[in-house]
Formats: sequence, C-alpha cells, structure tokens
Amino acid sequence: MRFVVCVKEVLDPDAVNSFAVAGRLRIGDDGRSFSQTAIPRLMNGFDEQALEAALRLRDAGAPATIAVVSIGTDPANILRHAAALGADEIAHVDADPAGLDAHGTTALLTAWIRKSGPADLVLCGRQASDDDQGVVPALVAEQLGMPLVTIAREVMLEAGALRVTRVTPDGDEIVETSLPAVVTVSSEIGIPRYPTAARKIQARRAKPDVVTLEALGIAPADLAPRALLVRQLVPELHGHCELIDGSPSESARALVSRLAAEGAI
Amino acid sequence: MPRVVVCTWGLDRGALPPGVEEALTLGRGLAEALGAELVLLALGDLPADAQALAARHGARAVERAADPRLAAGEPDALVEALAQCCRASAPRALLFAQTFDARLVAPRLAGRLGAPIVMNVADASLENGRLVVTALAYGGDTRAVYEVAGEGMAILGVSTTAVRAQSAASATTPPLTEVAVQLDAVPERVRIVARAEAKGPRLEDAGIIVSGGRGLGAREHYALIEQLAEALGGLAGASRPIVDDGWVDASRQVGLTGHITRPSLYVAVGISGASQHMAGCSAAKTLVAINSDADAAIFKHARFGIVGDCKQILPELIRAARERRSGGG
Ligand SMILES: Cc1cc2nc3c(=O)[nH]c(=O)nc-3n(C[C@H](O)[C@H](O)[C@H](O)COP(=O)(O)OP(=O)(O)OC[C@H]3O[C@@H](n4cnc5c(N)ncnc54)[C@H](O)[C@@H]3O)c2cc1C
Ligand SMILES: Nc1ncnc2c1ncn2[C@@H]1O[C@H](COP(=O)(O)O)[C@@H](O)[C@H]1O
Repeated sequence: MRFVVCVKEVLDPDAVNSFAVAGRLRIGDDGRSFSQTAIPRLMNGFDEQALEAALRLRDAGAPATIAVVSIGTDPANILRHAAALGADEIAHVDADPAGLDAHGTTALLTAWIRKSGPADLVLCGRQASDDDQGVVPALVAEQLGMPLVTIAREVMLEAGALRVTRVTPDGDEIVETSLPAVVTVSSEIGIPRYPTAARKIQARRAKPDVVTLEALGIAPADLAPRALLVRQLVPELHGHCELIDGSPSESARALVSRLAAEGAI
Repeated sequence: MPRVVVCTWGLDRGALPPGVEEALTLGRGLAEALGAELVLLALGDLPADAQALAARHGARAVERAADPRLAAGEPDALVEALAQCCRASAPRALLFAQTFDARLVAPRLAGRLGAPIVMNVADASLENGRLVVTALAYGGDTRAVYEVAGEGMAILGVSTTAVRAQSAASATTPPLTEVAVQLDAVPERVRIVARAEAKGPRLEDAGIIVSGGRGLGAREHYALIEQLAEALGGLAGASRPIVDDGWVDASRQVGLTGHITRPSLYVAVGISGASQHMAGCSAAKTLVAINSDADAAIFKHARFGIVGDCKQILPELIRAARERRSGGG
C-alpha cells in the first residue's frame, strides 16, 4: 500500500497573530503578502497531523510506504522534517502557491500522484492555516474519483476498509469507506510526534525529489487561477472595553450588576 | 435573467439551519449588483419557515428538490443533486451557509463542476464587471480579496459570523417550484457506522457561554468555568490548547475549527483572544474578558473586562452570580 500525505508550507500563524494583535501586521508592495520577513515558515499544523495519522496507521501494522508531497517554492525544510519522522519518499512540486488557486493546486497534486504511483490513501490537513479554505482535499477526491472523509480524529484500517472517527459539532461520528480514499485530519487527533535526534541528523541529507511542471506534463496556462488572490487587507481592531477595577469581590459584583443592567443576564 | 442561488438542506429542529439568513443577505446584495434574481433552493425537506424567510429576504423563487436521500443529508446524493441543478439552471453564483456539512459538500461540487470556489466569504461585489470576493484568512487576522475569472458559476461559502442578517427593503411572494433530480445511479460511498448524537444542549444554541483557556493554569480549575456557567444559566466552552492538552473534551472547543457560537453573553477567562478563537465567538452580543494581562488581545474585542488572576476572580463571580439568581444580590 502507498499513503500520500499532502503538506503545505505556511507562515507561522501564531507569529502572524502576534503581529496582528500588536497592530504591526503590514501588507507589502505587492498588496497581497506580508511585508514582515521575520515570520517563520513551517509545516501547516493539520498537515503535520495528517502525517501523524499515516505514521500511526503504519505503526498499527499497515504495510505501507509513506510519500509526502508539497507544492511550494522551497519546502525542503518541512520535507526533511517529514523524512525524519519516517516518510519514505519526499517530493517537491516546484510552483509558487501564491499564484495558484485550489484547482491549480489540485491539478498539480493529482498529476504528481498519477505519475509517481498509485495512492491507496491520500491524507491532507483539514485546512491550510493561511487561507483557511479547506477546499483542496475535496477537489483532489473529485479529480481522482475517490470518496472523501473530512475532519478525522482517528483513522483506522480494518480488513482493507477505512474506518474514520470524525469530529462533528454534535460529537463523534464513525464512518466507513473503501480504499482508495481521501481523508482530512484535524487537531483532535492529538499532538504529533517529534523526530528523534538521530533521525533528524540522518534526514539532513535527505533530498526531496524536485518535480517540474514539464515533468508533470502541465503547462502554466493549465493552472490559470479561477479565483485569484489579488489583495490582502489587515482589518483594524478598535477596542472599546470598559475595565472594571477593584478587589476580586468588588469587581465581580460590579460586573454582575453591569451585565444585569444591560440585560445580558 | 441570471440567478444567484442560496442552497440549504437539513432541518435544524424543524427550521432552516443557522446561517441561511446571512447567506440570503449576502446573496441579495450580489443579485442586485448583477441584475440577477435571488433563489432559495432547498434539498430534501422544505422547512416550514423557508418560504416566509425567502419572502422576507426578497427571493424571487423557492425551489425544492425532494428526495429522501437529500433529506437524510447523504453527501454523495447532495453533491450530485446540486450538480444536476446547476447544470440545468446555470446560476451565476451558488451560495452556501457555511455549516459543518457545507464545508464538505461545497468544495466537492466545485471539484465536480470545475467551478471557482471561495470559502469563509464576508463580502461579494462587482468591480469593473468582475466578481470580487472578500474572505477571512489567517483565522480572521486578514481579509483575502479574490477576483473570480470568467462569467461561469462561482461557489461561495458564506461565513455566518462575518455577515449580519438583514431583511430586504421590500418583501416578495416567491412561488414554490419542485425541481427534478435523478439519484438512482449515485451510490453513497461513505457509510455512517455510528451517528453523532449531541449530548445535551449545543454551544451553537447557547444564550450564555463561559469559556476557559490556558490561563486557567491547571486542569482542575476548569471546574470554576463550569460552576460559573451553571450559575449564569449557560454552557461551558474552551479554547483549543486546553482541548489539545486533554483538560476538556473536544466538544467544548469554540473557534474557527470548533463551535461557531453566537450567544448573547460570552465570558472568556484566561483566553488571549487569538483570531482563531474569536472566529467562534466574535458574534456574541456582549463579550466579557478576564485576563491577567492588560494588553491581551481579548480586551480589544470585549465590552467589559477585569484585569486580574482568574483563580481569584472566578470564585467571587460565581458567588455574585449565584446570589443574584437566588434573588439576594
Ligand atoms: C488553523 C488554526 C485553527 C485554530 N482553531 C482554533 C479554535 O477553533 N479555537 C481556539 O480556541 N483556538 C484555535 N487555534 C489556536 C489559536 O491560534 C490560539 O493558539 C489559541 O486560541 C490560544 O488559546 P488560549 O487563549 O487559551 O491560550 P494562550 O494564547 O496561551 O493565552 C492564555 C491567556 O491567559 C492569560 N492568563 C495567564 N494566566 C492567567 C491568570 N492567572 N488569570 C487570567 N488570565 C491568565 C494570559 O495573559 C493569556 O492571555 C487555532 C490555530 C490555528 C493555527
Ligand atoms: N501547496 C500545497 N502543497 C501540498 N498540499 C497542499 C497545498 N495546498 C493545500 N494542500 C493540502 O490541502 C489541505 C487544505 O488546503 P486548503 O484547501 O488550502 O485549505 C492542506 O492542509 C494540505 O494537506
């Protein structure tokens, strides 16, 4: 069996948050990317969890190789991290995600999957923490004609069938489907493992297989975005908070009566 | 005449699911800009309130595709039914209220039809004849503006907390039409083995929510959150880190990837106010923050705040709330 895990390199969302909260998040001259250059880049958190799901399946005895693919300009670091965690193949499809929409991303991912070998299970993050779209995995499933199961907290293989626990607003739902399939993984799967020091050192030498558009038989025109990010804006926050002072008991009482006066309780 | 279609399915206690009014509001604005007519498309059941709601929002028509599999919310059936409806009537835009189920169905439909899609939409308009869509990104730290190519159908998932529902200036009397869909050849590929069953009231429906975050310091202090929630007659929620750390069940998580709530009162305790948390509570009418850091972002969102140690303030708040309840305060 072969599992394919799709990972995206994103700007650290906590760092973006900190800049935003401090009122210092700025958009650069291109009008759509941040002018801050100090924001670290890392593997999308949910994608790390998708890789964790693949590793757990293999730990549980699934006879599988794990291939990790990323479309980006320079995702070598996150791919090496994947190798250190136990990925058997790492592939870098060389294209700038900023100029792609979900359909373009999907065209590249599915072309690579078709070319590099069969995928019995495609694992993705539930959404990328930069665009928050959560669209690519569904497009991949449609393109490959596979069933889609979203927002997994547990993924299991039983007698060749896939059994997934999904996190829904009403609680956990358990579903079954056959392979091949696409599954998106959510944070509820738990904190992903960390590579051992030895494997980290070993993985420093790992070189991703760099794949060009030509190698995939795709012309840039095939990737013309149907929804193109043209601008990004940072909304301003105008606080108007009324702070209530006093000792804990004074402020607690004052707050309760303010809320009562406003009809909030 | 071009069409802007808002689609919905599944009953939420006999009524339309939350967010449909917001989607109709955004859809009406877009329809006006396009010179299009606004249509409400119900798949499966037609909720009792659907036609009145469509009328209030200025829809020109209500359409229904009746099929038990659509009423049951089977995703393969929903995607195929929507694909058939879209092929038959070629709307300029198809809008979804971004419910949990819509997050799966909308992008699959986009994949099937090759249609441009944007989720988390807060606004849509025409600029120089082009459809321009504004969506929340980075949990809400930024707004991403997308230009949609061509004149074909665009699929939009409407963020129900970023749009304020507003009735049309003048109501309509939309007729109801049945539309035919053919689903016999569509197998359902994903089988539900165990259905989710809401245990008790849902955070989505709560009028009052008290949520705790990492600032509680230790798992056992979450009991104070539960006690305050009870004293106020509300439900207890949580930020993601204390879910990740296993202090509380994931069913309590409020936020972008948890429950999207809109209570009248939201009390955030020991929560910093990261955009991804606010995405699940910013629609609260009154937000109260209790945080030891006067510079915490949560105070930029709050109406009332107390700066201090929540472990000292919570017991006092519980006492004051209980006294008020028993008529003593
Ligand atoms: C893609 C993505 C999706 C996400 N989805 C969600 C989501 O759905 N929900 C969610 O909540 N988060 C989500 N997050 C995480 C989010 O970005 C924040 O990391 C998280 O909300 C922070 O939780 P917190 O405020 O409890 O913790 P922290 O940010 O650590 O804040 C703790 C706060 O407690 C205060 N504090 C400390 N001690 C005390 C004390 N004694 N008394 C009072 N206050 C004290 C501190 O001043 C601080 O403000 C998501 C992140 C990403 C990247
Ligand atoms: N550039 C990319 N390279 C590899 N995988 C991606 C890329 N973009 C998106 N994905 C996958 O699709 C998921 C959802 O992305 P999105 O639809 O952008 O929110 C991510 O969590 C990844 O698993």
